[in-house]
Amino acid sequence: MSDYAIKTVNLTKRYSGLWSKTPVEAVKKLNLEVHRGEIFGFLGPNGAGKTTTIKVLLGIIYPTEGEAYVLGKPAGDPSNHYNLSYLPENPYFYDYMTGEEILTFYARLFGIPEPDRTKRVRELLDRVGLSRAANQPIRTYSKGMQQRIGLAQCLLNDPQLLILDEPTAGLDPIAHIDIRDMILDLRAQGKTLFISSHQLSDVERVCDRVAILNRGEMVKLGKLEELLSGGHVELIAEKVNEGVLEPIRNLGGRASLHDGRLIVEQPDDGTIDRVIDLVRSSGGHVISVKPYRRTLEDLFVETIQGGNRQ
Amino acid sequence: MNATFALAGATFGEAIRKRILLVILLAALVILLISPAFEPFAGRGQRTLVISFGFGIIQLAGTFIAIIMCTGLIPTEIERRTIYTILSKPVQRYQFVLGKLLGAIATLGFVYLTMGLMFLLITRWTLGEFDPKIVQGLIMFFFQSSLLAAVTLFFSTFVSPLVNYFLSGGVFLMGNLMSTFLDTIQRNPEVTPLTRIPVQILTVLLPNFANFNIQNPIINPEQVLTDEVAYLVQTIAYAVIYMVLLLVASILIFNQREM
Ligand SMILES: Nc1ncnc2c1ncn2[C@@H]1O[C@H](COP(=O)(O)OP(=O)(O)OP(=O)(O)O)[C@@H](O)[C@H]1O
Ligand SMILES: [Mg+2]
Repeated sequence: MSDYAIKTVNLTKRYSGLWSKTPVEAVKKLNLEVHRGEIFGFLGPNGAGKTTTIKVLLGIIYPTEGEAYVLGKPAGDPSNHYNLSYLPENPYFYDYMTGEEILTFYARLFGIPEPDRTKRVRELLDRVGLSRAANQPIRTYSKGMQQRIGLAQCLLNDPQLLILDEPTAGLDPIAHIDIRDMILDLRAQGKTLFISSHQLSDVERVCDRVAILNRGEMVKLGKLEELLSGGHVELIAEKVNEGVLEPIRNLGGRASLHDGRLIVEQPDDGTIDRVIDLVRSSGGHVISVKPYRRTLEDLFVETIQGGNRQ
Repeated sequence: MNATFALAGATFGEAIRKRILLVILLAALVILLISPAFEPFAGRGQRTLVISFGFGIIQLAGTFIAIIMCTGLIPTEIERRTIYTILSKPVQRYQFVLGKLLGAIATLGFVYLTMGLMFLLITRWTLGEFDPKIVQGLIMFFFQSSLLAAVTLFFSTFVSPLVNYFLSGGVFLMGNLMSTFLDTIQRNPEVTPLTRIPVQILTVLLPNFANFNIQNPIINPEQVLTDEVAYLVQTIAYAVIYMVLLLVASILIFNQREM
């Protein structure tokens, strides 16, 4: 059990509304295993059940059925909370406090004594680039600055596990890169990161494994390279005569020819060499060969749409 | 314990910045300040008027501030999701509730201190004397409001703020009137036990807010309480015990709560 940073067994969460008769099944029989030291992407569209799962892991809500373990202990175990931290989606803080005051407040919740507390708070303000705004009320912070304060409060306790809910939501591209770099930095320190997101471009680059959740159910799980394998290669050639179209199509790709201009979309399985040979031997002239890797975005859309069509 | 005090401090810091509470406090201070101007209308002498009017204003402000502040303490934290970062730290739910109550009491302490100082200045100025009984009265009202705060905080763990206004307001009114009502009923021989017993039960269960209204002996000094100090200590002990019970109940409910 303790090999996993997070493990859930048939985790189910139903919200039984006080007024609505039909309960919402936000998470259905979810089995998650997040290894220590990995960056795990927890993906899914709005309403998939990501935040619900995270809240169960933190003990803010309780499972209806099944079990959840965090760092080898049952979810919500208070002693766990010294070793993990959490950045909520769109975090909001006591906004009358200054950046320094809010971090001091959280440091006190962790029981960090003086003089370590002041030192740690200063360090972190510096690390997230907020030293100059340290004495400004959070009310005056931009969204990006608030997110940085959110990250800083996550690092106060030097946690083993960080649970980040939509860490880049609403941030500009530069802030995205900052946060992504910080995430990579944390992995280099051996931390486990559990990141929920539907913004794929950033996560794509840093996650070791991802799970895709849809309507409370896990629809895909795996190493990123495996899930993203199976892209295609596009070839464009000119002065191609019609005779080669048939043999090229027989190689399994899609090919079209207009006025001697050939466009081939070939599976990324090595057969592109033979396409090139055919074009050349018929006197054609290859203009470009370009690989298209599958993006996480593609996978995401395919998986979710496939699931919803059933 | 550090976490509890940190939470209490944050609660206090936020409460004293709340505009509605500041408006009530300011209004009370202004009314206290201009109250000597009503002097010409004094019927039973200046002393009665200044003191009972002042106490009335202070109690009213304290009551409104206690209810308005405490209906929101926990629901606001949930609504704007500040509670998530707090409960994901090594903070137990009982510490959270305790911190909220301590913060509310500290806020009431601040409110009573400012109103009380103003009141003492006014009475010193208009009556030309410093009456220590006024301090006793202020302390009683402070405990009354603190008990009311605990009642409101208790309700806030399971009802919405709007419902809570009515519930807490209702409990405060009933708690003020029940003992007098029971007295009247008991003196009336025509009242059957079927009516009397439920009233008796309610009187015991509801917090007795009337205990704290000791302004009568202050307004009429001739009317002496048999053992004043004992009465004060008893009443404060009553408030503290009742608050602890409410706190325990609040924590039990809040522990089950999902957010
Ligand atoms: N407190 C609640 N009471 C009732 N239903 C809820 C509650 N919280 C969430 N839900 C429902 O549970 C489902 C999952 O919600 P959840 O917030 O976990 O989704 P999410 O994956 O985090 O989505 P998003 O990307 O929009 O943040 C939704 O259908 C939502 O309406
Ligand atoms: Mg969410």
